[in-house]
Amino acid sequence: MILSVVGIVAYGLWRSRGSDTTDAYLRAGRTMPWYAMALSIMATQASAITFISTTGQGYVDGMRFVQFYFGLPLAMVILSVTAVPVFHKANVYTAYEYLEKRFDSRTRTLVSIIFLIQRGLAVGLALSAPAIVLTVILGWPDDWTTVLMGVIVVAYTALGGVKAVTWTDFQQMLIMMAGLAASLVMAVYLLPDNIGFGAALTVAGAAGKLNPVTTNFSWGDRYNLWSGLFGGMFLALAYFGCDQSQVQRYLTGSSVAQSRLSLLFNAVAKIPMQFLILLTGAIVFAFFTFVQPPLLFQREDMAKLTRMPEYPALREKFDAAFQSRQSAARRLAAGGGAKEEFQKAQADLDETRKQAAALTKSNDTNYVFLHFVTNYLPEGIVGLIIAAILAAAMSTISGEINSLATVTVIDIYKRLINTEAADARYLLVSRLATAFWGVYAVVTARFAKNMGSLVEAVNLLGSLFYGGILGVFALAMYFPRVGAAGAFWGVLAGEAVIFTLHFTGATSFLWYNVAGCLVVIATGVVISRLAVR
Amino acid sequence: MNREEPPPFFGTWNRLYAAVILYLAVLIAGFHAFTKAWR
Repeated sequence: MILSVVGIVAYGLWRSRGSDTTDAYLRAGRTMPWYAMALSIMATQASAITFISTTGQGYVDGMRFVQFYFGLPLAMVILSVTAVPVFHKANVYTAYEYLEKRFDSRTRTLVSIIFLIQRGLAVGLALSAPAIVLTVILGWPDDWTTVLMGVIVVAYTALGGVKAVTWTDFQQMLIMMAGLAASLVMAVYLLPDNIGFGAALTVAGAAGKLNPVTTNFSWGDRYNLWSGLFGGMFLALAYFGCDQSQVQRYLTGSSVAQSRLSLLFNAVAKIPMQFLILLTGAIVFAFFTFVQPPLLFQREDMAKLTRMPEYPALREKFDAAFQSRQSAARRLAAGGGAKEEFQKAQADLDETRKQAAALTKSNDTNYVFLHFVTNYLPEGIVGLIIAAILAAAMSTISGEINSLATVTVIDIYKRLINTEAADARYLLVSRLATAFWGVYAVVTARFAKNMGSLVEAVNLLGSLFYGGILGVFALAMYFPRVGAAGAFWGVLAGEAVIFTLHFTGATSFLWYNVAGCLVVIATGVVISRLAVR
Repeated sequence: MNREEPPPFFGTWNRLYAAVILYLAVLIAGFHAFTKAWR
């Protein structure tokens, strides 16, 4: 684990050679091949959260979360047709530069600031996940582990720039794939002697965990086929088409074709990868139907619970429900029915865990997989999986910090504060901005620990802002008659609607992107028509 | 920028896009069958 971290940092620093201009530092001189960009895009998106929170999501809520990604391939095709050639032709460093070319500097600045707020908060969430890992394994306080991870990532990102970020992402993604494969294989291998893979699926299926497609529609349901295809497509369009942390990856491409291929690779690879991660969570669930899990997976919260007067009664109820579920699961696995008994025991267990979580005011979704890894896997495999989780974390955080610094320098500093400085000055400010956003991430990460499922928190946060940003890019590319005033006020109107939907709880967050985008377009078109009159 | 540069597979970009969308449809159909099989 230590070797992989040190090796990746050293590799990043070695790759930093030659990044001595802003073009090389922020855009790799537009020399990157598609396979490096493809894995970098994937690695930036697949954070430590993907490993520890998505597996936990599979354990707690089943596999239906995979539907969230169904719109992604559609979005990648649309972006390959539209955004990629537009950005390449505009020869920009950031996606937001294009908005000034199309509208005005006010719209560019507004959208840049929205990006900085949203991505700045998200990077804190991304940093909190590896801190959870190190805390569980090494027993270090959250604050220390957050600072340690922050310092390591900022060091190689500040020195190496986007080229180092891309090539370290490439390596980190390979480590992640190895870790993912090892996790799934070990989860199956550790099942009790008489329980095979098929029996584990039977048990997980009876508990409703094997549900990668749910066709029932409800506006309030977060994950179903329809919200995944439509809401997910809008979210993916916004994330990969308008979020600088992703756009910057394919702006480094040596041609339109290379950038397109990097996106289409993700269109093909992303869903199977998420399916396997969620399946791992479901298999871990099956494992814990035969091996008793703790009442709460977070050690500190569990210790807190044991000191409460309600604990003995909860413990007794939990133990009884587990025994009942285990007995039913064995019969179920042997093909002897008992499905209703199993489901009743499962409901009792869920209710007991819910009460324990309410008493401790905690959510242990992010600790399920780590508990399994640290308590049941052999040391060598633990090292590989922890290395994979740390690789995932570093790749995401480095990409996000790199993009935050790029927008800060190109869209704010160079555009509004110091327009005529020498290239060396902008390079220096880029490095300083990287360090600033690293510190910012460390500070915000401290507040992320008890936000429940981190993977949901990140996507919800993105959905609060992406609809507005996507709408303005749609106006820029598809509505040639819409002018700057329509775009600017359209973004503000779109964000107002999204926040109203959020605070009234009217719909699931996946629909925010659709609603926000449509409001921006409608407002932009109406204002532009009124202005013409 | 070379807008005419073809993809390495399927000959044209439009065919490659169609293949990606078909792949998605097959994937969803497969997952739907998986859901029904283990319900």
